[in-house]
Amino acid sequence: MTTLCNEKAPILVNEEIGCNIWLMTVEAPAIAGGARPGQFVHVRVPGMDDHILRRPLGIYAADAEAGTVDMMYQVLGFGTERMTALPLGGSVELIGPIGRGWQPPAGCSRALLVAGGVGSAPLHPLACELAAAGVEVTAVLGAGTADALVARERFCAALDCEPACSTDDGTYGRAGFCTPLVEEALAAAAAEGRPFDYVACCGPEPLMRLVAAMAAEAGVFCEVSLERRMACGVGACLSCVVDTVDGKRRACVDGPVFPATEVVW
Amino acid sequence: MQRSPRDTKVSLAVDLGGLAMRNPVTTASGTFGAGREYHDFVDVAALGAVTTKGVSLHGWEGNASPRIAEVPSGMLNSIGLQNPGVAHLKEHELPWLAEVGATAIVNVSGHSFDEYVAVIEALEEAPVAAYEVNISCPNVDAGGMTMGCHVPSVEKVVGLCRAATKRPLIVKLTPNVTDIAEIARAAEAAGADAVSLINTLLGMAVDARRRRPQLARVVGGFSGPAVKPVALRMVWQVAQAVEVPVLGMGGITSGTDAVEFLLAGATAVAVGTANFANPCATVDVIDGIIDYCEEQGVSDVNELIGALEC
Repeated sequence: MTTLCNEKAPILVNEEIGCNIWLMTVEAPAIAGGARPGQFVHVRVPGMDDHILRRPLGIYAADAEAGTVDMMYQVLGFGTERMTALPLGGSVELIGPIGRGWQPPAGCSRALLVAGGVGSAPLHPLACELAAAGVEVTAVLGAGTADALVARERFCAALDCEPACSTDDGTYGRAGFCTPLVEEALAAAAAEGRPFDYVACCGPEPLMRLVAAMAAEAGVFCEVSLERRMACGVGACLSCVVDTVDGKRRACVDGPVFPATEVVW
Repeated sequence: MQRSPRDTKVSLAVDLGGLAMRNPVTTASGTFGAGREYHDFVDVAALGAVTTKGVSLHGWEGNASPRIAEVPSGMLNSIGLQNPGVAHLKEHELPWLAEVGATAIVNVSGHSFDEYVAVIEALEEAPVAAYEVNISCPNVDAGGMTMGCHVPSVEKVVGLCRAATKRPLIVKLTPNVTDIAEIARAAEAAGADAVSLINTLLGMAVDARRRRPQLARVVGGFSGPAVKPVALRMVWQVAQAVEVPVLGMGGITSGTDAVEFLLAGATAVAVGTANFANPCATVDVIDGIIDYCEEQGVSDVNELIGALEC
């Protein structure tokens, strides 16, 4: 296992990139150098001492050369609200890189990545890694509205093609949820005689449950990235457990990525 | 980068009821795993002791999720003593703690009187420096706090554990009682070498919009800086009521917090919830105690114990 660091990370970028969705880039060379796709950081937000817990955020990008980490966050409560007010030049404290990331099967040649909302963040490094390894990657991105499809351009750049997109309100791509796009992608690949051998999904839990079922139906190995309320982030407190076929396991260090067949939904 | 406490001429060693600690700081059970989880951040061998997560004879699955909620200056938890059982601790965690040179206090839990004894018996050959008998967990339906609220059951479980070991026996008390001094005296009379307090305060949080409790089990244990005044008051009361030393805890995040507990009568302190925000909290607390002693001209930390002027 990689060594965990607790890095004081100067803020280089902190801007709204879509409706209520923000991008924060920080300088955290030790974490950036060790991070694997699907891992996360546990963020201590300064200036909120009466809110004593850290906030777990998926790693959207880790640039080992530049020593930077990108985090995408949706403003949902006090902690993320407070994050929006942090000035450039200030800093956050990050524990990372944490957890079991994506583990595509050996020899994977064709992968389907499915992201709902800000679930696109931890899938982005996977898209980059798979594409660089010559894996044929199809991406499906779903969001509430066009402005919330914040990762679309990065996926375009990583995959050199437009991801299949859907919005609940029909303002971009297919109208409705992204599950029909997933079903179509699975069917098309099977019809071509070159089925996917890996599905990776991150987003709202109902979406992951549906995608896991579709992958199982198609006989494709599927992983999902789960989120729970979390205190320590290092495997000590057992706050963030997930029900699995092997009993209750920690989302922080046994996950956040689990093979979908191990999850008891 | 792994941190250790800084060098000092201040004498930091304390004796907690026969348990020799190199400094007065241990960890609060359940917040630090078995030490290994935090070893990337702090040298656990440099702590006064590592107190391990509560262990029962066979594994317990614990409670349903959500298990925690953040509340102003604190948090609620209802983990429910999830643990893989004493054999796992003995085979995997205690040898590791011994190998790195850490002093291990094992927090012992049970659903019945016999289970507490069986856990201790299973560990008598293992590298354990002391036991902490958990009769104060608010998150289980049997054992835990249900045993720690009544003098007869306190006397019985402590007496049975006392008979099972010659090692230092610490009894961890719940604050959810009318008179904690009475419970402390009962533990002392039944053979405790030390008492530790406070376990968490029973609390609750509600999501008004959803009209639902924030914890799956509805109620849970309240910890963090918000509970410190209650913890200090109880440590002070208990230190006056018993002869045995007191291990104080509840909301400690800094060296100054720890000194306050020592002045109120604690011989040693435990850092718990603070580890979650700051994985180096234990070493920061030790360094803060050193800073205080050096500033105040205190050459031996034992001079602080019970030195409150009132």
